[in-house]
Amino acid sequence: MPQDEVAQPISYSMAPYSGAWTKAEAGHLLRRTMFGPTNQQILTAETDGMATTVNNLLQVPVIGEPIAHDSQEIIAGFGTSWVNSVYPSDPLLVNSVAEARNKSLAAWIIGRLNTESVSIAEKMTLFWQNHFAAPFTGDPRATYDYHALIYNNSLGNFKQLVKDVTINPCMLLFLNGATNTLFSPNENYARELLELFTIGKGPQIGSGDYTYYKEEDIAAGAKILTGYIVDGLASDTLTNVTASFNATLHDSSTKILSSHFGGVSIPDNGANEYSDYIDIIFQQNEVANHICRKLYRYFVNFDLTTSVESDIIPVMAATMISNNYEVIPVIAELLSSEHFYDLSLRGTLIKGPLDMLLSVFNSTESVPGFDILTDGIMYSTLYSYGDVLGQSYASPPSVAGWPAYYQEPAYSQLWINATHLRLRFQLTDFVTLYTGIPGNGNNWKLNILTFLDNLSSPADAIAVIDDLVDVFVPKGMDAVQKLILKTILTNGQPDFEWTIEYGAYTADPGNSNVSDPVRSRVEAVLARLFQMPEFHTL
Amino acid sequence: MKRRDFVRNMALVSAGTPILVNNVSLQSVGKTLFDVSKSAEDRVLVIIRLNGGNDGLNTVIPRDQYANLSIQRSNILIPETSVLPLTTEVGLHPSMTGIQNMFNNGKASIIQNVGYPEQNRSHFRSMDIWSSGLIDSNPTTGWMGRKLDSDYPGYPTGYPNSTDTDPFAISMGYGVSSTCQGIMANFSHAVSNPFDVFNLTGSGVVNDGTYYGDHMEYLKTLIDQANAFGAQINAAATAGNTMSTLYDPLNELSTQLQYVAQMISGGLKSKVYILNINGFDTHDAQVDSASTLTGGHAELLKGLSDAVEAFQDDLSLLGLEERVMGMTFSEFGRQVASNASLGTDHGDAAPLFLFGTCLNTNILGPNPVISDTIVNQIGVPMQIDFRDVYASVLHDWFGVSTSEVQAMFEHSVTFYSLMNSCNVGIEEEELSKNKAIIYPNPAFDNATIRFTALNEWVKIDVYDIQHRKVASIYDGKLTQGRHDVKLEIIDLSAGEYIIQIQKESGLVHTKLLKVK
Repeated sequence: MPQDEVAQPISYSMAPYSGAWTKAEAGHLLRRTMFGPTNQQILTAETDGMATTVNNLLQVPVIGEPIAHDSQEIIAGFGTSWVNSVYPSDPLLVNSVAEARNKSLAAWIIGRLNTESVSIAEKMTLFWQNHFAAPFTGDPRATYDYHALIYNNSLGNFKQLVKDVTINPCMLLFLNGATNTLFSPNENYARELLELFTIGKGPQIGSGDYTYYKEEDIAAGAKILTGYIVDGLASDTLTNVTASFNATLHDSSTKILSSHFGGVSIPDNGANEYSDYIDIIFQQNEVANHICRKLYRYFVNFDLTTSVESDIIPVMAATMISNNYEVIPVIAELLSSEHFYDLSLRGTLIKGPLDMLLSVFNSTESVPGFDILTDGIMYSTLYSYGDVLGQSYASPPSVAGWPAYYQEPAYSQLWINATHLRLRFQLTDFVTLYTGIPGNGNNWKLNILTFLDNLSSPADAIAVIDDLVDVFVPKGMDAVQKLILKTILTNGQPDFEWTIEYGAYTADPGNSNVSDPVRSRVEAVLARLFQMPEFHTL
Repeated sequence: MKRRDFVRNMALVSAGTPILVNNVSLQSVGKTLFDVSKSAEDRVLVIIRLNGGNDGLNTVIPRDQYANLSIQRSNILIPETSVLPLTTEVGLHPSMTGIQNMFNNGKASIIQNVGYPEQNRSHFRSMDIWSSGLIDSNPTTGWMGRKLDSDYPGYPTGYPNSTDTDPFAISMGYGVSSTCQGIMANFSHAVSNPFDVFNLTGSGVVNDGTYYGDHMEYLKTLIDQANAFGAQINAAATAGNTMSTLYDPLNELSTQLQYVAQMISGGLKSKVYILNINGFDTHDAQVDSASTLTGGHAELLKGLSDAVEAFQDDLSLLGLEERVMGMTFSEFGRQVASNASLGTDHGDAAPLFLFGTCLNTNILGPNPVISDTIVNQIGVPMQIDFRDVYASVLHDWFGVSTSEVQAMFEHSVTFYSLMNSCNVGIEEEELSKNKAIIYPNPAFDNATIRFTALNEWVKIDVYDIQHRKVASIYDGKLTQGRHDVKLEIIDLSAGEYIIQIQKESGLVHTKLLKVK
């Protein structure tokens, strides 16, 4: 899309936003930083104001560990954590235990998203999952360990996170760091460390020269990173998958980086040499530019126009560098900026599958709430819906993450094509109108009545539709679309008929004769809303 | 087109077109069923992407380099006696019996050492380069997207319509293909199963000129197209047929190619089908530790080879062989030396496969030369530019004129004769305009020059770049019509040459690149 044909932002200021703070701004902030805020959460943010809300968002809640729910888990007890549990000695049973743990891990991830508080932590964790993109490993304990790392450091220090990820067993397995040795260097991790994780790839300006680094840096980096091995995979005696340094596998020669790094020498420093190398990479300011562009694309808009490049990215990068690569100051500044609230930058992102699916459940305050087994099955099923729609949380399609976050020129439009759109409609219909997500003899349906009761004025048909629009769509909705929804709510009757129906239900809430009709009307409205293009943007 | 026009036209299209389109489409499907035409209009190209960077040296094995290969990659090398021979110099991975059979029947060919100058070893950048056919500029369109944009300017505005009822390209699976990215929209329609019917609810939103408005318009267009194209695809799949017994339902590519055959035979007028196989990024465990004959790479190649053989068999049984050609590509080859993880790291050039009955060559380009010493990070040097392969396919298969093809690329295009053996009547027209075609070009030992003459005296000479005559090829009278004259160039040193054809009716010059 040629940018000169699109309305551009009025403000390129990173100064604190001081304009009107209404439900629209509060909703914009929460939709961009969460997986589907509720009406009440948006109203609270409106009352609290921007500064308090941003501050609240920047807390990382403590999370638990995944717990066993699947019958194939025969080591850890039902309902207990398996992250420090061994595998069976019988090799035939290892796979089934690993499968059970992967299901538990998937349920744990989706359960966290479904029950998130007002915090940016989960959105940032997905950002890092996309950034580092390590997928499921053969041992779910290592996968868990990696996910705990990126969650716990989701608002931490970027430089430290790169260091920790570099020698994390999951990453060592994913990009062959664990088999990168003095005797045969494997370049896989060394390449992505520069190209994707830190400094980013610039235009190719010469043979093997990518502006900010050269092929020779990849070769040198591979040598620097040699010597780390992974132990404990699927072990029947070791309770953890661990990384350790083996000096005999390490290339102890002095490595020399290219002119892009000033031709600096990196002398042997054994187990800490990787850290020395990362420190040198982070001396290049381009690292901050690279990560800030990604943050901008993730939270604001895909289009890095010349104005964004000149007025926004350098400010973000300078904040990051002056705070020694701490993430919080950059995010706080961005989410409080005039630019972020510019009207032209609302609705600029198409919801990814996880954003789309979770907003259906989260914004309607719907959690399964059955028992450990049932909830586990339902959450892992919801995980698989994300997979079907193109976003399997723990399995990005490649080391660059999901194309919708990086691929020119379409970016987030890549989340949807005609096939995906149809699947989205089918799935939202399924959970809204039909059986809901089945599991263990129960069904997880949307929590329609609670959702309705918590709206501003549920007895008023017009107010109900206004609230739905405030909660689910980024830029309001025209009168025709709203009328379509209201007509569905009232079933074509005058508005007061809805008020009467709703009154009958509140007078006798336990009576399904009066609650069922109210529920089914709201279900029909939501099913239609979920098929409107407006709902599929952020 | 200005955005305002785009918005206005979309509004008109959405008013009633989908219903109209459905009616028209059903008639057209019935009419074109099994109506096989040989014109370029009705031709289909099947593109199979080997995602991850295929290890060319373990796929097409240079048998004359075997001793040095065993120095470079002993831990993954296929045993010499297991290599499937194609010629005395060239062999295939033993799991590729399907492609071997096709090669022996003239239905598969190999282009050696395909790549581009200054190889970029990033998966993502390199895939962008291969998808776009552009190296220097920041690509926003795919090479097929540009071809389709030139045929159907303004797309998606006004499509589908009563003439163009079907999606122009099909991407098998759930995602669209960047190869088919046009200026305004992607030309490919994602199909996971053509037998699924669906109909989505429409929407009345309008584009307010913001980024958001663009998304609204995009989503609305998808809804309309999903309905219209979905109905067409389903009608074709239902009307179509598939006859080969070689398809393996457990092989995903095989199933997808079977769907493709079903759709083509049912009259779907899509011109391009894109398929994808993941898993070629074989940094480790490319072969099993117990045997280099098995392992991940062997399974991938078997999956490819078996599926393509079944598809070609089906096309033959369906009488569609002269309408469908195929090609594979991968973003790069891998390094010559293996690593200790029984794998290979990102490299440079690699072979690609063409398949179908209208091929001209069996193997284009010489074997790569493998050194007897390991040099860290060395890949296979590129000899044939992949953009010239695309350009030649567009010219040979879709009949796009050389000047139009040239306009789609940023480099000076060299045309090879790759798949024009079914082009009876198409080439003469172009040759009569005082042109000559040399194939293969670049050439190694010999080449053929094709031109027309009018019952006249013809003299053919070869000049070097300083315009010194280095060889006389022909001097004599020729009858009216097309002529193929062989050029023996084995003794020439590598470099550029001018072939001069002196005819009474005019002078023709054309360039030949001799490679070692």
